[in-house]
Amino acid sequence: MNKPLFHFALAVLVAIALPVLVPSKTLCSEVLIFAIAVAGCNLLLGYTGLLSFGQGIFFGLGSYTLGLTLLHSSLPLVVALALASIVGGLVAVVIGGLAIRRQGVYFVMLTLALAQLFYFLAYSLSGITGGDNGLLGIPRPGVGPFDLNGALAFYVFTAIVFLLIFAALQRVVVSTFGRTLLAIRDNGERAQAIGFPVRLFKIVAFAISGAVTGLAGGLHAALIGIAPLSSIDYHLSESVLIMTVIGGTGNLFGSVLGAGFYVIVSSVLSAIWPRWMLLLGALLIALTLFMQKGLWGLIEAAVSRIRDGGPRRSRSAIRPARGEKP
Amino acid sequence: MLHRRQFLKFSAFAAASLAAPGFLRSAFAAGGEITLAAPLPMSGAFASNGKYGSIGTSMAINDAGSILGRKLSYLELDTEGSSATAVRKVQDAMQQRHATLFAGGILSSTALAMSQEINKRDGVLFTTAGADTITGSKCNKATFRWSVPTYGAINETVRPLIDKMPNAKRWYTITPKYVFGEDLLSAAKDVFKEKGIQHVGNSYHSLDTQEFSGYITNALSVRPDVLLLLNFGSQSTACLRQAVNFGVKNRMTIVVAWASGLEQFKALGPDVVENVYFGAQYWHAIDSPFNKQLVAEVKKEKGINPDYALASAYMITKLLIDGARKAGSIDGPAVAKSLEGMEYDGLTGKETIRAADHQVIKNYYLLKGKAKANMKDADDYVEIVNYGQSFRSAKQEQCVMG
Amino acid sequence: MIYLSQIVNGIGLGMLYFLLAVGLSIIFGLLHFVNFAHGAFYLLGAYLCYALLQHGIDFWWAITLAGLIVAAFAALVEAGLLRRIYRLDHMYHIVATIGLALMIQEFVIIVWGPVGASVSTPPALVGVVMLGNFIYPEYRIFVVGFTAVLALVLWWLLEGTRLGAIVRAGSESSDSISLLGYDIKRINTAVFALGAGLAALAGGLATPIRGLDPFMGVEALAIAFVVVVIGGMGSFTGALIAGLLVGIVQSLMATIWPEGASLAVYIAMVVVVLVMPRGLLGRA
Repeated sequence: MNKPLFHFALAVLVAIALPVLVPSKTLCSEVLIFAIAVAGCNLLLGYTGLLSFGQGIFFGLGSYTLGLTLLHSSLPLVVALALASIVGGLVAVVIGGLAIRRQGVYFVMLTLALAQLFYFLAYSLSGITGGDNGLLGIPRPGVGPFDLNGALAFYVFTAIVFLLIFAALQRVVVSTFGRTLLAIRDNGERAQAIGFPVRLFKIVAFAISGAVTGLAGGLHAALIGIAPLSSIDYHLSESVLIMTVIGGTGNLFGSVLGAGFYVIVSSVLSAIWPRWMLLLGALLIALTLFMQKGLWGLIEAAVSRIRDGGPRRSRSAIRPARGEKP
Repeated sequence: MLHRRQFLKFSAFAAASLAAPGFLRSAFAAGGEITLAAPLPMSGAFASNGKYGSIGTSMAINDAGSILGRKLSYLELDTEGSSATAVRKVQDAMQQRHATLFAGGILSSTALAMSQEINKRDGVLFTTAGADTITGSKCNKATFRWSVPTYGAINETVRPLIDKMPNAKRWYTITPKYVFGEDLLSAAKDVFKEKGIQHVGNSYHSLDTQEFSGYITNALSVRPDVLLLLNFGSQSTACLRQAVNFGVKNRMTIVVAWASGLEQFKALGPDVVENVYFGAQYWHAIDSPFNKQLVAEVKKEKGINPDYALASAYMITKLLIDGARKAGSIDGPAVAKSLEGMEYDGLTGKETIRAADHQVIKNYYLLKGKAKANMKDADDYVEIVNYGQSFRSAKQEQCVMG
Repeated sequence: MIYLSQIVNGIGLGMLYFLLAVGLSIIFGLLHFVNFAHGAFYLLGAYLCYALLQHGIDFWWAITLAGLIVAAFAALVEAGLLRRIYRLDHMYHIVATIGLALMIQEFVIIVWGPVGASVSTPPALVGVVMLGNFIYPEYRIFVVGFTAVLALVLWWLLEGTRLGAIVRAGSESSDSISLLGYDIKRINTAVFALGAGLAALAGGLATPIRGLDPFMGVEALAIAFVVVVIGGMGSFTGALIAGLLVGIVQSLMATIWPEGASLAVYIAMVVVVLVMPRGLLGRA
C-alpha cells in the first residue's frame, strides 16, 4: 500500500483515466498542473512541517517568467518552463531563508506577509507584469515535431511533465534527505541536537518546493495563454494549501487526489450553484474533525478495513500539536 | 453517434462526479440547440454584476426563442472574477458545446483575456467591460463593446458641468492608479486645459483601498469647487460615502464620472446620492422606445427595474442573436461581419456599431441625485440632466484590426 | 497642516483597527489559536447591525445587539467545534477557521444578496467639526471616543480583574489554571466570545463609514493580522500601539506616496517580524 512504485502506478493510472472520464481536456490539464503545485506544497507541509502561505509567490513568478520568455523571445517551451522553475526555486531560497528564521504561527504569518508583498509588487510593476490585466496573448510553441495547440496534445505533454516531477519528488522523499526532513518535522530540536544542519535542509526543501511550484505556474500560463494577477495572489496560496490538506499531508499521491477533487468538484459545483463555497467551508470543517489525514487517509482506512475482513477500530489519526500548545 | 455512446458508457460515473448540467444537456440534445454562452462573475467579489447580467442574458434568449430554425440555449459560465477561470471555461464551451457566441465579461481583465481566446478560435464576443484597450490597442475581429470608452465618459460629464457652472474653476481629482483611472484622468486633463479650468490637485490610490479619508483630507485642504471621482464600483461607493461624511457635499460639487447606476445608488442610499452628479452608461428612465419596452418586460417578469448589468447584458445578447440571424450562421467571423456597421434602435436610442473598431456609438448620461422627498418611487434616485455622444476615431483609439 | 490632519485621521482609523485586532490578539494570547474567521465575525456584525436597523431598531441598540448575537454565536462555535481541535496542529486551526469564514461569507450572500448596502450615520452625529482649516466628521470623532472608553474597560478587565489574571495565567499554561480549580473550558469560551463580539462591534461601528459588502471580512482579516503581528500576538497594548501606527502610516502615505500605501504596511510587517520576532510588545 505504501510502496513508491505502487504510488507511481496510481499516478500513471490517474493520468490515463482523467481524459477518458472528464470531457474537458483543459480541466484535465489543470488538475495535473495543480497536482504538481500541491505536491510542492506537500513537501513543505507534510514532510518538513512548514505551513507556507507563500506558494502563490512561486506559482505566480513561474507564470510571469514563462509569459515574458515566450512573449519576448523565440525560446522553446521546454526552456521557458525550465526558466520558470529556476526562478521559482531561486526566489524560494530567499523567501525560505527569511521565513524559517521564525517558527510556528510567526512563520505562517511571515509567509502570508511576504505573499501580500509580492502581490502588491506584481500589481504595481504593471510595465512588466501587465498589472491588473496580466500578461495577455502568450503563445504556445510546440515541442520538437509535436504541435501542442490541441487541448489533448497539451494534456499529454502536461501528463508527461507531471509524471516526471512525481517520480522525482518520490526519489527526494525516500532519500536520506527526505527522511531527515521527516525527522525535522517530528522534532526539530532533536534533529538539530543530533547535528543535522536543520536550517540548510529547510532551505533546500523550500528550493525544491519553489522550483516545482514555479514549473506548475509556468505550465498554467502556457495552458490558458495568459499570466493573470490572480496567479500570484493570496487566494492561490490558500487554494493550494486547501488542496494539500484535502488530499492528505505527508503523502505524494494524496496531493494528486486533493488537486483532482478540488479542481473537478469546484468546477462542477460552480456550474450548478454559485454559492458552492458554502459546501467547501463545511467540508474543511468536517476534514479537521473527522478525517485529518485527508482523502488518502480515508482510502487507507477503507483498504485496511477490507483487508482485515470487517470493521475494526481505526488508529487515532490525530497528530499531537507541535510548537506552542502544550 | 460515437460521442453519445461514449458518454452513456461512462454516464454512471459522470452522474456522480461530473454532473454539470451543461455536459448532460449537450450530449442528449443531438446537436439541435445553439448555445449562447455568458461568461459572468457569478461568485467572488463581483457576484452582484453577474447576478443581474445573468437575468438579462437569459431574458434576451427566452425572448428570441430560436434562431436559424434551432432552439437557443443559455450557458452560464461562472468566471469567479478570475481571467484564468474565464479562459478555461471559454475553451471548454467552445470545444465541447461548440459555442461561438459569447455575451459578457464585465471585468476588464477577464474580458481582455477571453477576447484573445475567442478570436483565436473563431468565436465572437460582445462585452460591456470598461477598459478602452478592448476596442483600442487590443482590438480584434471577434470582439465588440457596448460601453462608451473613458474619453466619452469624461466629455459627457465634465464638459457639460463646466458649461453649467461657469464659476466653478477649481477642480480636484481622485484617481485609481491603473490603466482605467489614468485614461479617465488624461481625458479630464485635456478638457480642463481646453476650458481654462484650474486642476488644483490629484490623489492616486491603489486598487485595493477602501479607506479614503486621507485622500479626502488632501482634497479639502486645497479648497476646490468641484471634486471629481475617477474610481468605480465599490471603490467609488466607499469614496463618495466617506466624502459625504466629511461634509464635502456642502462645500463643493461632487462628480462621479463612471457610476454603475441603480445598483450603486441602492448601495449608497438617497442621503448620499442627493445633489451628486453621476456619469452613467444606462439609466432605466431613458426615454427610448426599446428601453421602455425592456423596462416594462423586466417589471412584469421580475418585479424590478433593470440596472446597468441587466440592461446591457440583455442588449448585447440581443445584438449577437440579431447578428447571427442576419448572417444566417453562428460562425463567429460571419456574425462579426454582419454586426459591423449595424444601425439599430437600442436602449439609448439610435445606436451604431462602428466597423473600424467594433465600438458601439451610443449615448452617455449625466445624472443628478434627487432629494429623497422628490423621489417618485424607491428607484427614482436621479434625473437625467444631459446626454450625448463623444467618441474619438478608431485610429485615435489606436485600434489596428489584424 | 495637511500632515496634522492626516495624523488625526490616522488615529481615527487606528482606533477602529485596534478594536478589530484586539479580539484576535486576546484569543491568540489565551488559546494559542489563529482565528482566520475573525474577519467573518466582523462581517456578520456589520450585516446584523444593518438588518436590525432595517427593522426599525435604533443604531445604538443595533450595534450592541449585533455584538452580543455574534458573541453568542461564537460561544456556540467554540464549544461545539473549536474546543475539539485545540490540541491539533495549528494547520488544522487554520483550515477549520478558513472553512468557517467561507460558510459565514456565503451565508451572508444567501441571506442579504451579493450587492452591498449602506447604513446612514445616526442622526445625532451627522455633521462635521471645524477648527480653522481642519475638518473632521462628528461620527468619526465619536468612534475614537467610544473605542477609547472601550479600550479602558478592556484594559481594566484584563489587567485589573480576577478574570484578567486567569486569562493571563492561562496564556502561559492552561494546566496551572486547571490546578487552581478554574474551569478552563468556560474561560476559553468566554474569551473567544469576547474577541468575536469585539470584531462584530467594530463591524457595526464601521458600517456608516464604509458601508457593507459580503467581502469586507477578507479585507478586515488582512488588517487585523498586520496589526496583531506588528503589535505582538496576545498583547493588548501592542494591538493599541500597532493599530494606531498602521492607521497613521496609511493616512500619511495617502499624501506622500498613495500607490505604495499597502506595500508599505506589509513591508513594515515583514521588517517587524524579522527584527522583533514577537512584535513590538508580544508575550513570549
